[in-house]
Amino acid sequence: MEKLDINPRIIAGIRKASLRTFESILSLSTPDIERSTNLSSGDVHVLKTAVAQAVPKLPVVSALDILHRDCPETLVVSKLTTGCDVIDKALRGGILSQGITEIAGESASGKTQLCLQISLTVQLPQKLGGLNGGAAYICTEDIFPNKRLHQMIQHFTRKTSAKLPKPINFGDRIFIEHVSDMEDLTKCIKMKLPLLLSKGVIKLVVVDSVAALFRCEYEAWEMVKRSKHLTSFAATLHQLSHQYGIPIVCVNQVTDSMKTKETRKHVPALGLTWANQVTCRIMLSRTNHQISVPKQVVNSSVIGGFQTCVRHFEVIFAPHLPMLKVPFIVDQEGIKALT
Amino acid sequence: MQTQRELSSFPIAPVHKTKLAAAGFIIVEDLKGMKPSELSKETGIGMEESLDILKLVLGTDGKGDNSGHVDKSALDILKQEQSLPHIVTFSEQLDNMLGGGVPLCKITEFCGAPGTGKTQICMQLAVDAQIPECLGGLEAEVIYIDTEGSFIVERLVDIVTATVEHCKEIAGGDQDSGELGDFTPERVLSRMHYYRCHDYIELLATIHLLPDFIKQHSKVRLVIVDSVAFHFRHDFDDMSLRTRLLTSTAQNLIKLATTFELAVVLTNQMTTKVRAGESSQLVPALGESWGHASTIRVILYWEGQERYAWLYKSPSHREARVPYQVTMGGIRDVVTEDESHNDDTVDTDKNPTKRQRVT
Repeated sequence: MEKLDINPRIIAGIRKASLRTFESILSLSTPDIERSTNLSSGDVHVLKTAVAQAVPKLPVVSALDILHRDCPETLVVSKLTTGCDVIDKALRGGILSQGITEIAGESASGKTQLCLQISLTVQLPQKLGGLNGGAAYICTEDIFPNKRLHQMIQHFTRKTSAKLPKPINFGDRIFIEHVSDMEDLTKCIKMKLPLLLSKGVIKLVVVDSVAALFRCEYEAWEMVKRSKHLTSFAATLHQLSHQYGIPIVCVNQVTDSMKTKETRKHVPALGLTWANQVTCRIMLSRTNHQISVPKQVVNSSVIGGFQTCVRHFEVIFAPHLPMLKVPFIVDQEGIKALT
Repeated sequence: MQTQRELSSFPIAPVHKTKLAAAGFIIVEDLKGMKPSELSKETGIGMEESLDILKLVLGTDGKGDNSGHVDKSALDILKQEQSLPHIVTFSEQLDNMLGGGVPLCKITEFCGAPGTGKTQICMQLAVDAQIPECLGGLEAEVIYIDTEGSFIVERLVDIVTATVEHCKEIAGGDQDSGELGDFTPERVLSRMHYYRCHDYIELLATIHLLPDFIKQHSKVRLVIVDSVAFHFRHDFDDMSLRTRLLTSTAQNLIKLATTFELAVVLTNQMTTKVRAGESSQLVPALGESWGHASTIRVILYWEGQERYAWLYKSPSHREARVPYQVTMGGIRDVVTEDESHNDDTVDTDKNPTKRQRVT
């Protein structure tokens, strides 16, 4: 405050009125400040303008600058590949490196599979669609599926080793944190996560799932409190996302729609409060349609050779995508769109 | 102006008030026709402060009488309003509902649950405001304030490309495409000024600095805030502070809209309102008092497989609902197979009581 480039008389005035933060100056009306500081309205205008200029913020850029990446780095949106070309194409490149991407779906629809898969692809260099960094994986629901991850790592290493300039040990850069209650979660995202992110090695945060804690820890009469915590939680994630330019992926459960009018049987849990905070909403679902995956042997590892149901990958809303649906299956390697 | 108003009721520094009173200046009339230098001499107040006082009290720059303040009749205002152009949405039904598009000098608010098309409408408007004058557009520059991080340039490029092509097609018929020569996607994008605000303090600061920015860029005719709700809906324990901030934000925006003759478009989220004994319903967020902030309020919602826009509040047009769609090229009308299915029939089907009440 003292460093503002304005008349010292004004600064003395606001010091006397103990207005110490930018916030307090900007939130008070001009007459209010005049009253408490005895400054004239002209002075207050000068003060407010100086404060508004001093608030740290991104400079104004034109949309063309952003398109040409001629702007501050945090405004550049990159995409994280999902590891499946068809789904990437549907997502116009992959998951946005900005904001919260939600993956909702009933149990066993492939949510965790997709999350594990992007925890691997994020480690690829930018040229291959990754973000060249590790992943932080926050588990709230279940124990982290370590065995499955290692199975996927084996296949993933085999698939990518030819394209990589030097081999990556994919298991080394996934940081796992189990949280079991809200207190842990708050501590995790407010203290541990920023510390980890500030080191710069992490380029993806997965929360699997948001629903578990927020759905079970609140009584029916505590809904106001729940919404408050939920928005504050989402705001923290948004802030981390923009500060470090990383995608935040949140898994959500589904709930049955109460409205008979609605065509969709399942809707993502946590209601409108949460939906308002989500940038892109993706929904996975199972169908009754069974297909058998042909057995293949590549480099002595077996792929396929079992029956599975066809699942759907759906974009419910996203600022840059139309609504669309892609059928996919899960096999030993991970998620694959049906062609 | 109230000439009998006492000077002590103005927000003037107490020191000056005493000096004015001592020199015999009690009511507004006493200051009429005074020059700053005269006032300064008579009262012993500094030149600059005298000017400030005269400005404040008389509402002029102190030179002569207040000729700059002309009373307008309602007819003048009507004429002025009718002469102002609108920003079209590219959906004819939506435009008709709004009386030609989004009006200048007013605040238009689009509310809706996630995924109803708020951001899409904003992007479409940001492009449409730049349509060249020879095609009846505004050829204006646009300010886009993004609070949610939902501004994805590649999506904007889709809409820009489609719009530019559409305009070229129309102009092609007139053999007048020479004038459209510089209406290119690059130019459209370069005339869109983008602010990203990460918290409400940044938002307040940005809005505070807008008048200065617009003075430098006099072609700006549209200011978009997508969304105004986002930062005001988390970590606010002091609800009275929030209401105060929102009211002053609204005031700043409406001042901006009228002084610079530009359109302000806001988006807002929806929230569930639960009343005892009644079923809950969706209402625009930010509370009752914010409801007065915008002149025009449109609620966007899904019904079945169609998107609808519902004109909820407007001083000049009746309540109506029209379907619209979002295509790769932007906002468009819903194309019905039977052309006789225009908005009026849709309206009566959906809402017979309201139609009767209005007509």
